[in-house]
Amino acid sequence: MGDGMINRTSTTFRSGQHGGVLAVVAHVLLLLLVLGQIVYLASRNRVRWDLTSDRIYTLTDSTKSILAGLDKQLLIEAYFSPKDKLPVAYRETRVVLDNFLDELVQLGRGKVVVQRFDPNSDKAISERCTRRGVKPIDLRGGSATSVSVDRHWQGLRFVYGGSKQKVLAQAGPQSPSLAEALLTPAIKEVVTTDKARFGYMEWPSVKPNQGPGVGWNTLRTLDAIAKRYEFENFKNEDAPLLPDDLGTLFLFRPENLTDREKYVLDQFVVNGGTLMVFLDAADYWIGERQQFGGKNQMVVDAADSKKTFADQLRHYGIEWKQKVLADMIPDAHRPRNPAQPQEYLAQVENTVFGRRPVAKTYPYFFHAVNVDWSQVADQLARDPQTKQVDQDLAAAYRKQFGAGMPSDEFIFAPFKKINRGPGFYWPTWVGLRSKAGGEPDLPEGVEGRVHLWSSPAVLVADPPQNLNPFGYGDARAQNEAYLKFITKLNERFYAEPRQQAPLMAEVRGTFRSFFAGDDRPKRPSEIQEEEAAAAKAAKAADADEGDKPGEGEAEASPPAEVVGPEPPEAAADEPVVVAEADMVEAGSKAGRIVVIGDSDFVRDDFVGGQYAQQGGPVSVLGGAFFNSLLDWLAEDSDLVALQSHVATDRTMQFLGDATPGADPRAIEQALTAKLRWLRWLNVILPVALLSVFGLVVFSVRRAQKRAFLESVA
Amino acid sequence: MPETLVIFRRELKSYFLSPIAYVFGALLLVLLLFFSTQTMLQQGASADMQTFFGLLPLIFVIFLPGLTMRLWAEESKLGTIQLLMTFPVRASHLVLGKFGAAVLFLGFVLVLTLGLPLTLGAYGKLDWSPVIGAYVASLLFASSFVAVGMFWSSTTQDQIVAMLLSLVSLIALYFLGNPMFVDAITGWMPGWMVDAVAAVSPYKYFQSIARGVVDSRDMIYFACFCGFFLYANAMMLRNRRQNG
Repeated sequence: MGDGMINRTSTTFRSGQHGGVLAVVAHVLLLLLVLGQIVYLASRNRVRWDLTSDRIYTLTDSTKSILAGLDKQLLIEAYFSPKDKLPVAYRETRVVLDNFLDELVQLGRGKVVVQRFDPNSDKAISERCTRRGVKPIDLRGGSATSVSVDRHWQGLRFVYGGSKQKVLAQAGPQSPSLAEALLTPAIKEVVTTDKARFGYMEWPSVKPNQGPGVGWNTLRTLDAIAKRYEFENFKNEDAPLLPDDLGTLFLFRPENLTDREKYVLDQFVVNGGTLMVFLDAADYWIGERQQFGGKNQMVVDAADSKKTFADQLRHYGIEWKQKVLADMIPDAHRPRNPAQPQEYLAQVENTVFGRRPVAKTYPYFFHAVNVDWSQVADQLARDPQTKQVDQDLAAAYRKQFGAGMPSDEFIFAPFKKINRGPGFYWPTWVGLRSKAGGEPDLPEGVEGRVHLWSSPAVLVADPPQNLNPFGYGDARAQNEAYLKFITKLNERFYAEPRQQAPLMAEVRGTFRSFFAGDDRPKRPSEIQEEEAAAAKAAKAADADEGDKPGEGEAEASPPAEVVGPEPPEAAADEPVVVAEADMVEAGSKAGRIVVIGDSDFVRDDFVGGQYAQQGGPVSVLGGAFFNSLLDWLAEDSDLVALQSHVATDRTMQFLGDATPGADPRAIEQALTAKLRWLRWLNVILPVALLSVFGLVVFSVRRAQKRAFLESVA
Repeated sequence: MPETLVIFRRELKSYFLSPIAYVFGALLLVLLLFFSTQTMLQQGASADMQTFFGLLPLIFVIFLPGLTMRLWAEESKLGTIQLLMTFPVRASHLVLGKFGAAVLFLGFVLVLTLGLPLTLGAYGKLDWSPVIGAYVASLLFASSFVAVGMFWSSTTQDQIVAMLLSLVSLIALYFLGNPMFVDAITGWMPGWMVDAVAAVSPYKYFQSIARGVVDSRDMIYFACFCGFFLYANAMMLRNRRQNG
């Protein structure tokens, strides 16, 4: 009986236990269901907060303003193969794209329509999207026995108003900001109806025995630029006045300018045009195996020119010193990406990782640094031998020096975030006309500012024949030549006073003509015409005189030789010379002149990476700066916010600016020691703090225990 | 609530009075900071905490089972759980008290790593808001793992078993959200299932907050995840209490 009771009790208990477990499982499953629903609903109605200071996960005003300005329908055809078949890396980019497209639809208020197609589902769709320029992503997969190719699609086509279109063949943005950087300019491109028009004149750099010269065509013809801006060449041997409807004219490294050409430029700015000049002090080039060459100073003015271009710029308020600059501050010529030393100058050397380009200090290639140089006056006024700071000199420096990038114009915003301007190559001095004390001395009605400055450690000199750092010998001789080159620069640096050189200047206002009070320089065709007319008049006069009795000898004499071009044969063939407007001596419209002291950084060979294989230089940021410059000159503010949507440069510098000319090995040692110390401090200190806390707790505890035991005893 | 606070205080005190907690904290800090600083403190490196917060989940996977294994299993082994069960407190109060104390202890350990962002801030432009967001995300992530570990600890009397069960669960949860693992399983699982499996892992949501975007979806996920395991834990205790 007892056993039976025990058995019954045991069975009841066990069934009770089972019932309990079942209840728990049922509860848990129910809860799981409820929580799953909550998570699902939360994902449908989400709220996001972007904590990053650069707002890299938030749409910029650029996208918002472009979408707000839509007056027709923007159709976005998304050629996407199914997300669940994509590899994970692409799947994440799909999520980014889907989110971005959803946001576009929301912001577009009915004007943005997204149509999704799966090219893998229908051959007709895949053929259509291929025809339209969308490219598949073919990924190889397979097993031990077979190999397969999986075809995925992730392309977009934008159609605005049923006519203008733009195709992104493959889109795989890793983050929302990258999606915006990719898609918003494409949208801007299709919704833009009128292209802004720019004029240009260029004087290509011609190396001896190297065929046609190198110009500035690469950037002008870039798809992203050519779709939005139109460039027209206004270089004309006859140098007619520029059309009234031309707003902006680019001068790429002017050379052999005649007075007539200067007059054309003068009348352009006096009549309210914007002149953008890229100047150089000398024409340097890089030959094979990094053999630098060059002509002496640029001959900017034609031989028969009576007025110099430098004087002309000076007349408007721009001071151009035809000098070449070298910035001795290491920060100014440090490549942006240490893995890409070719940005400035590198030499391909044998390293532990094989033959790789190794950065070489070459202070003639540098950028403006976003530093207020008055803050480092003490460092600049320190004697390198005694290490003593000359307080008077430091005070003078504080007054004299300013920020490297003082401008608040939007084109500089992305560059300020990375603490540096675009890299310049053998730049020249371009600033504002100033009085003896350094105060700007601008013409009446003209305002000016300098946008970019070098550091105060700049060396200014007449351009030498060439600036070859390596010489022409074998590897050893090249190393020796390089050391000599750097030593010489360092000697000059210690011997010369500190100064800051302006690199980009702008003047705006109503300009007075540089030719006011002088005769208007005539066009070559005009001169030709006048000479022809004079010759004709002389001939007629001769004929008249020949008709007079007693002057028969003149008939026998040969016709007078005409100097210069052949006069026109007959009136019917004479060129029609359109009468030119009178000179405008004082402008009524505000003109604008922007001068940058370098033309190489946007030149085809530097932008196109022609020297990349041999160690550079490659103008990494030249294209981005030129693009921004166009937006700035065209006053197209739509993409401004997008351009400033660049992540701040957060590169860490564990050593302050090294003294120019310091031993790199000593710098390396100091850096290694500091880093080692910091690493150990970061590991040891928290553990030590935890241990000290523990020891305090144990001591208190032990004291309490002892007190308790004593009280009990 | 006062009952929860009493349990919380008792648990927290036990952490700081136990040498094991200090050894645990010191080891976690040494491993985490040693490997992080080797990569992060480099000339020319970016002043951000990505490496640190990339390593943190893996460190938690390794260390948290050691912290949570004793939470209930030790009480069961020492018999103190019987005493606890006689207290006039609800199982949920007991669970919340222990959970809160464990999370606060981890928060204390995380506070000790603040020297690293301070160092980065001294030598570069550190963006503090995402760093603070990432610390909050780390605490949420740790909370979710503590909840899982506590649950397993409540199912057994043996601490080693509890630790092993926690370790396996946390490794699984960690890898389910890891893109490399998800990529590997893509070939032999339907896409919707891959997405569903990946959606379970707290690691995926941690990454989202740690990069600097606070999403209501992620926060709700963490609340639900912790809530689910804490509820399951409380159910286990209630069941044990009912069954004597």
